[in-house]
Amino acid sequence: MTQYTQTFTLLKANLKRDWLKMTIWLIVLVGMFVAVAAKFKSIYGTTKQVSAIAQTLKSQAMVSLFGPLTTNHLNTAIIFAVEMMVFWGIFIVIFNFSLSVGITRGQEESGLTEMVLGGHPVGRLAPLAAACLELVIANSVFVIATGAGMMAANMPESDENGNWLFAITLGAVGLSFGLISLIFAQLVADSHNVTIYNYAFFGITYLVRMMTDVSNPDYTWLSPFGWIEKADIYTKNNWLPVILLLGLGIIGFAVAVLLNGNRDIDSGIIQVRGGKRTSRFLRGSGTLLFWNQKTSSLFWIIGMAVLGASYGSVFNSISKIANDSPVVRQVLGQNGMRHLEQNQILSFVSILGVIFSVLAVVGGAMVTSHLYTEERQGYLQIISTKPQSRSKLLAAYMAYGFVLSVIILFAALIATMEAGNSVLRQPLAFKYFWQIFIAMLPILALFTGILVALIGFVPKWRAAVWVALGGSFVISYFGRLIDLPAWAMKLSPFYWFRKVPLEHIDVVPVTWMTGIALVMLVLGFVGYNRRDIES
Amino acid sequence: MDDEIILETKNLKKSFGKFQALRNVNLKLHKGEVLGFIGPNGAGKSTTIRVILGLIKATGGSAAVFGKDVWKDSVAVHKNLSYVPGDVYLWPNLTGGQTIDLLLHMSGQKHTTKTDDLIKEFKLDTSKKNRTYSKGNRQKVALIAAFSTAVSLYIFDEPTSGLDPLNEVIFQHHIAELKKNGKSILLSSHILSEVEKMCDTIAIIREGNVIETGSLESMQHLTRNTVAVRTKEPLDELQKIDGVYQLKFSDSARTTAEFSADSDQIGNIMTLLSAKIILQLKTTPPTLEDLFLRYYQSADEQKGGE
Ligand SMILES: Nc1ncnc2c1ncn2[C@@H]1O[C@H](COP(=O)(O)OP(=O)(O)OP(=O)(O)O)[C@@H](O)[C@H]1O
Ligand SMILES: [Mg+2]
Repeated sequence: MTQYTQTFTLLKANLKRDWLKMTIWLIVLVGMFVAVAAKFKSIYGTTKQVSAIAQTLKSQAMVSLFGPLTTNHLNTAIIFAVEMMVFWGIFIVIFNFSLSVGITRGQEESGLTEMVLGGHPVGRLAPLAAACLELVIANSVFVIATGAGMMAANMPESDENGNWLFAITLGAVGLSFGLISLIFAQLVADSHNVTIYNYAFFGITYLVRMMTDVSNPDYTWLSPFGWIEKADIYTKNNWLPVILLLGLGIIGFAVAVLLNGNRDIDSGIIQVRGGKRTSRFLRGSGTLLFWNQKTSSLFWIIGMAVLGASYGSVFNSISKIANDSPVVRQVLGQNGMRHLEQNQILSFVSILGVIFSVLAVVGGAMVTSHLYTEERQGYLQIISTKPQSRSKLLAAYMAYGFVLSVIILFAALIATMEAGNSVLRQPLAFKYFWQIFIAMLPILALFTGILVALIGFVPKWRAAVWVALGGSFVISYFGRLIDLPAWAMKLSPFYWFRKVPLEHIDVVPVTWMTGIALVMLVLGFVGYNRRDIES
Repeated sequence: MDDEIILETKNLKKSFGKFQALRNVNLKLHKGEVLGFIGPNGAGKSTTIRVILGLIKATGGSAAVFGKDVWKDSVAVHKNLSYVPGDVYLWPNLTGGQTIDLLLHMSGQKHTTKTDDLIKEFKLDTSKKNRTYSKGNRQKVALIAAFSTAVSLYIFDEPTSGLDPLNEVIFQHHIAELKKNGKSILLSSHILSEVEKMCDTIAIIREGNVIETGSLESMQHLTRNTVAVRTKEPLDELQKIDGVYQLKFSDSARTTAEFSADSDQIGNIMTLLSAKIILQLKTTPPTLEDLFLRYYQSADEQKGGE
């Protein structure tokens, strides 16, 4: 037990550091969840509204995004559960990953752990135990607040058992993935790599969930992330997934503890190899950035191509018309059916375009915002005294980030097309994907511009770009389902191209979005040339 | 030393929000000169250097290198300057060798035999990843890159804080070589013996003010020497004469004494001592450490008296 000495002291210190981040996340996660629940009655309160949305949710496209409907007796609460489970599952996993990377390797990198472990009577496993406890606390708060909020929201047809099971399932999936992330924290060299492994693991479980949902939901049990759907909230209220998730989390923590015994502080079990003694290639900030980022960039591109291909591979299911009846067939005729099927896929492709773009922005913006991370970590102190202007430095990071996001988007779309056309009887033309690609470019530019402006003027607030991106995503992915007012929908840049590729790209939003992006870029460069370089 | 001014700051000021880190910093570095920059923790040495490097913008006064403004013409200034910080942070995924080459290329330099010699001399394994280097080894990477860069001005901010004594000697040797080749050097350091050995001029900074600049000799001249003396006759009169401080007799006959003496009174004091017939005499000029301590103590006393 001496290995765990001072766990609580550490926990207190960690909480002191993380409380703001936790509070903001929890307020947003719990607040929006409960707010949607409270508002749900006005959106899907009547049988007519329920059966209308049921049609949408039954389509395979929606199944791939939200999971299947497991009952025919739909009501307001069940619709809510289906729409929210996967979606909120994603968010809570992201929240837990971000917490867990921060309290494990992030902390070690800042040298804090070493000071604590080396200079104070703290057990060797105490940091890991403190990390585990912090995750438990964060998810418990989420569960309690969400459960209580749901009781207060008092959605029609919801019940106490279901409300609490819903909250606990979400908390359990968050905790479970957070604890698994502790394993990766023992394995690899730094926090950046831990993040990559985390999302690779999560990506795989998500894809398995998505593909099994549209092909054979029984296999969804294969994916830990798929388990959350099996809770069947408000229908069967199955507690097995919660037990499985908690079990998985405990295994994750146990493995992390075992691995922790075999590693040194601030390094992974996978040993770092040496390398070349000289370099002709490294000539400046641009080549350096490429060198440092090439592996994770490749990872992004391949990962997104896999994501695209997975969505594409279910296009045949998605093209199936939900209310397929002989009458409909007769009315529409062979061509009419084809046309309807194709439109159905194309509007799904349009949604995919939004998802891919959001992820592409994440991939690119992570590189660009690295400029400030490296500044803070002191890596830029020598480089900034070389005869290269700051504008050039910023331009290198901005260009790399933007181009990477463009490549990511393109790779995802092309992979979707290739995989989709291999399963469709009637292939989709390249032009549709190309149009989406073009329509998303101003959006990629816009977020690049926002980020550059933040780095130039208020680098401490650069996380605002994630808020803007997350907000835009939620609005466009979700806004229709919860019936957001038009003005709110318009806040999302994706709104303006929501009909592409079924309709043509509107030039007006392209112009103003590009305009704003350019203004932001100019502002960012001006600011970056004027401000102090930190540390 | 030459008359050509390489670096000059005039009434340099820098505030971080309300906090004034630099109040009044005046420095002058000539061609071929080594300027030692000393002061207690948090006095503003690194801040001054970062202003000179154009990393942060001065809030008042001016700083020029090669006659050019350090902020506006930073790129031009950086062409002819090399910098080694005290805490060297290097990209964890590059090897030491790759880092050295990168830094050389960025300054428009090449990896020469000189670079190889330096790597050998500092005994650095350049095939290791930066993430596995110790603090001293990271410092070596930066020093090797800086020493094999041919520029006119070198700026070091506590460059030896992580080096062992052997490597410190190598460092000092290379500073001497740069100096011989007419290069100018700004060196901030807490190792006063190092500064004493290598620097032509010393600037002392305290709470954002440069309170003293000059050669070690001129500073020593301003202050007191330590005198240890043994005479045949008692030295009671020492108690009355001007310019004698901290007088201590170590025998009851009062013929063995130790005291510190003002440099400008040394003539009178010697006359008195000679009259008492000197048997043994040793005078030691103050070390930089004595000076340093004296400046701070007197400054603190002043503050205490305020
Ligand atoms: N970015 C900043 N924001 C606020 N205060 C700062 C900043 N950088 C430096 N300071 C403050 O300015 C003062 C001078 O710091 P500086 O790093 O120049 O000291 P120093 O003389 O180099 O000390 P040391 O010998 O410890 O290296 C310190 O009080 C420090 O806290
Ligand atoms: Mg300093």
